[in-house]
Amino acid sequence: MTAGARRWRGTLATRITVVFLVLLLAVQLVSFSSLRYSLSRHAHNELPTRLDEGEQLLHTLLAHKAQTVVALAQGLTSDFGFYSTLLDDHGATIVSALDNLALRVKASKVAYLDLGLAVRQTSRSARPAEVAAIVAQLKSPLTDAADANAIVLVGGQPCQAVLVQVKAPRPVGWMLMVFPLDAQLMTDMKRLSGLDLTLLSRAGVHAPWTVAMTRVDEASASDLADHGWTPSTLDEPMVAVDVHGDELGVRALPLGADRRVDPGVLALVSLSIGDAVRLPWDLQAALVAITLVAIAVFAAGSLVTARRVTTPLRGLADAAERLGGGDYATPMRGLGRGDEIGALSQSFERMRTSIAENQTQILRLAYWDSLTGLPNRARFREAVGDAIRDAALAAPGSGTAVSVAVLMLDLNRFKYVNDVLGYSVGDEVLVAMAERLGQVLARAGDVVARLSGDEFGILLCHADAQQAQAVALRIEQSLDLPLVLGEHKVDMGAGIGIACWPAHADDDDTLLVRAEMAMYAAKRRSNGPVTYDPAIDATSAQTLTLMSELRQAIDRNELRLYLQPKLALEDRRVVGAEALVRWQHPQRGLVPPSQFIPFAEQTGFIRHLTMWVFEEAARHWQALAEDGLQLRLSVNLSTRDLLDLDLPHKFAQLLARHDVPAGAFCLEITESAIMDDPQRALATLDALSAMGFKLSIDDFGTGYSSLAYLKRLPVDELKIDQSFVLHMQTDRDDATIVRSTIDLAHNLGITVVAEGVETAETWNLLRDLKCDQAQGFHMGRPMPVGDFAAWSTSWGMRRTAGDSDGLHVLH
Amino acid sequence: MPARLAPLAALLCATATAHAASVDVVVTDPAGNALADAVVMLEPVGARLPVKPMAGAQIAQHDRHFSPAVSVVTVGTAVLFPNQDTVRHHVYSFSPAKTFQIKLYAGVPHTPIVFDKPGIAVLGCNIHDSMIAWVVVTDTPLWARSAAGGRAHVADVPPGSYEMRVWHASLAEAAPPQQLALTVAAGDVDQRVRLGPGGLVR
Repeated sequence: MTAGARRWRGTLATRITVVFLVLLLAVQLVSFSSLRYSLSRHAHNELPTRLDEGEQLLHTLLAHKAQTVVALAQGLTSDFGFYSTLLDDHGATIVSALDNLALRVKASKVAYLDLGLAVRQTSRSARPAEVAAIVAQLKSPLTDAADANAIVLVGGQPCQAVLVQVKAPRPVGWMLMVFPLDAQLMTDMKRLSGLDLTLLSRAGVHAPWTVAMTRVDEASASDLADHGWTPSTLDEPMVAVDVHGDELGVRALPLGADRRVDPGVLALVSLSIGDAVRLPWDLQAALVAITLVAIAVFAAGSLVTARRVTTPLRGLADAAERLGGGDYATPMRGLGRGDEIGALSQSFERMRTSIAENQTQILRLAYWDSLTGLPNRARFREAVGDAIRDAALAAPGSGTAVSVAVLMLDLNRFKYVNDVLGYSVGDEVLVAMAERLGQVLARAGDVVARLSGDEFGILLCHADAQQAQAVALRIEQSLDLPLVLGEHKVDMGAGIGIACWPAHADDDDTLLVRAEMAMYAAKRRSNGPVTYDPAIDATSAQTLTLMSELRQAIDRNELRLYLQPKLALEDRRVVGAEALVRWQHPQRGLVPPSQFIPFAEQTGFIRHLTMWVFEEAARHWQALAEDGLQLRLSVNLSTRDLLDLDLPHKFAQLLARHDVPAGAFCLEITESAIMDDPQRALATLDALSAMGFKLSIDDFGTGYSSLAYLKRLPVDELKIDQSFVLHMQTDRDDATIVRSTIDLAHNLGITVVAEGVETAETWNLLRDLKCDQAQGFHMGRPMPVGDFAAWSTSWGMRRTAGDSDGLHVLH
Repeated sequence: MPARLAPLAALLCATATAHAASVDVVVTDPAGNALADAVVMLEPVGARLPVKPMAGAQIAQHDRHFSPAVSVVTVGTAVLFPNQDTVRHHVYSFSPAKTFQIKLYAGVPHTPIVFDKPGIAVLGCNIHDSMIAWVVVTDTPLWARSAAGGRAHVADVPPGSYEMRVWHASLAEAAPPQQLALTVAAGDVDQRVRLGPGGLVR
């Protein structure tokens, strides 16, 4: 996974999770707040009810206490012994009995009253006046028949006073018992209702309230006492009292004898409003726990959900990455999903297959030739590169030298086929050619490609120059059989060049270029396949050195003019000579023309060579003439010469300088030189012809010039290519071509020269065919111009000495 | 009944010559309802009629009640408390007129209780709180008890001024009988009295 993908997944998954959690928290917050609000409101509403209950509870507790005490007192006072003591009227005994009763019922004071509530006797803890004051407080609630209880103030302290009738058996008096209200009451209140109880007391209506007992802290109790209780506040369900920071809900209950008008005791039932409306801690803890659990569950759930989305998305992103990287073979995953991700995956899958198809199509268009079905130049170049790489890898281990050979083949006269037979036949030729090459190359791993137009490339893996040469020969042999295309029968030749790795080139591009050079060399020579040689390569270091030296050769006077005689077949007379250039290199010795002429043509230096030859020829013509040799000297013109529109002018100047007639020179032009740019070539040739130069078609039969051109050219002479002449004795076809050419030329009024005459038989044959002139080793090799006069003299002597048979003698 | 015949005979003897009259008193409560078992006693102003203890007086305990609930006896009368129940009783009185107790007993106690002071004694049983009886001890022979209609008939009352005292159990505890002056001339007296919080009214 890349860092980018991780970051991408992180943000999307995190975003989803965060959104979920924020929503959850918002919901929790709202529900928490509303719960809190409603609980708080409910608690607020409940406060008076709780205080009501507190009030009821207080009454119940007091009543319960009273009932308990009354029941106990009733039991005790009903005791025969007790009331017999009472009625015995023995003071000291009665007092001790009352003390005893006080102990039994845990009363602080006990007194015996007569039926008219007059004090008869008191316990030792009570004084009669005190008891009278208590009785005065009790009078109001007391009815004659019933026992009574009430809260009274005794010495400022609230106490519960109980009156029980003493019967013996009819009522004979009252027993008064006083119980101090103790902390137990407040503890019970707190325990049973959760409410705090505070008792206030006052000495009189206008006296301030003082705290008698309380469960709240001292300061709060003091605040409560100072609240200013009025009769109207006693009616309210709840009074809110601020006590240093806290707010208490208070219900005030008047206790004591005269409750409404002059309550001596005020019971305050209170609770903290803040505590009451606050959410209980356990509920808050539960809510927090629920929220935490929900957050955990939501976080986990949303993470899982997000992963379920982002994981396939990541897969798709990786797949897109793969597609971008050119991998169209790996199918998408997650195609089975029924959701949007599945749909996206399917779309990706369709895109992938579509791109893969397009890619295949593009590759086919890019690498394959649609006409022949063969790989094209680009593909061929790759194949060559691959083969070289494989060979380079295999080379160290194999032990044997691994070589890769490239053959490059260019059809001869294909343009002519296209022009004459039409492009459709041309295409058929190419297809047939492809088939034929395929048949020749049965070896697996070899590649045949169409590089351009009529150019084919052949890759031979594990083949050296020798093996490649053999293959090239097989190809040439296969081309001996003419191609049969419907009604047409086409005879195709081809130039084949060979280059090998690593013998001739270090890399694929160089290898191809050099194979192509070899091919051009083969086409030029028309003499079978050519294997690359630095000598044929204008760009090779050797050639470059040669060319730079050639430039200096003229100045250094290293060039030599050679002449090869041209003889009239009819009378064996020397009628002319072909002017040839030789290079006497100071180190290399005599450099053959094949090693520098082609490159001079390629570089354009050929024009200087042409001018040099012409100049030398002109110079020597004069000297030869002085020796009595009236010769016509032939000078070769290259394509570049023909394209030089200034050439006639230069020649004219040269003729004038040396004072020689134009008619003394014959300018030889190859067919191919003309065909490069026939228009300009014709213009130049017309001009030269008009100047008086004789014109000759060199190497006739090897080019592709149509007879139509021949007719238009101001030609005086045809030179039949030596390839026809060499074998005309044995090859009937060659003989036929030579004869036909001679007849054709004669019919057009053109002189015919045969090159390559090497035997007397050929000489005789040509003479029989009425050929005009002959040139060849049989009569004379090219020789230094200085030797020519001597040779001519000896030739003249032999010619006059015998007939044609004398030629044999010469050899 | 022999207990009643004796004073009656004495009275008859004392007033036979003086044209004795009869006094009828109807006693009601403050609301005017006739009260039964009210005791009406006539005491001559400034004189004292001789009384004799009554003989054979008894207050039985029957079915956990005193029977009768209200008894009138002359001073010095000895009263027997025969227990007719199967359970035992503990009869007592803390009244100033007569304080006594007969501790748990069954059958008839050997010793009767002599009521020797005028007044009203409230009797109870220490075992059974619901058992209550009143004994009105009078020192005048002129007394009667109202019947169901509230009427009390005192016969053979010599003319003269009398203090009429009326008592009923519904009066406040320990309260003395309410009294009213009554003059008896020639002829019978038919008096209606009402017991009230403020005293006895005609």
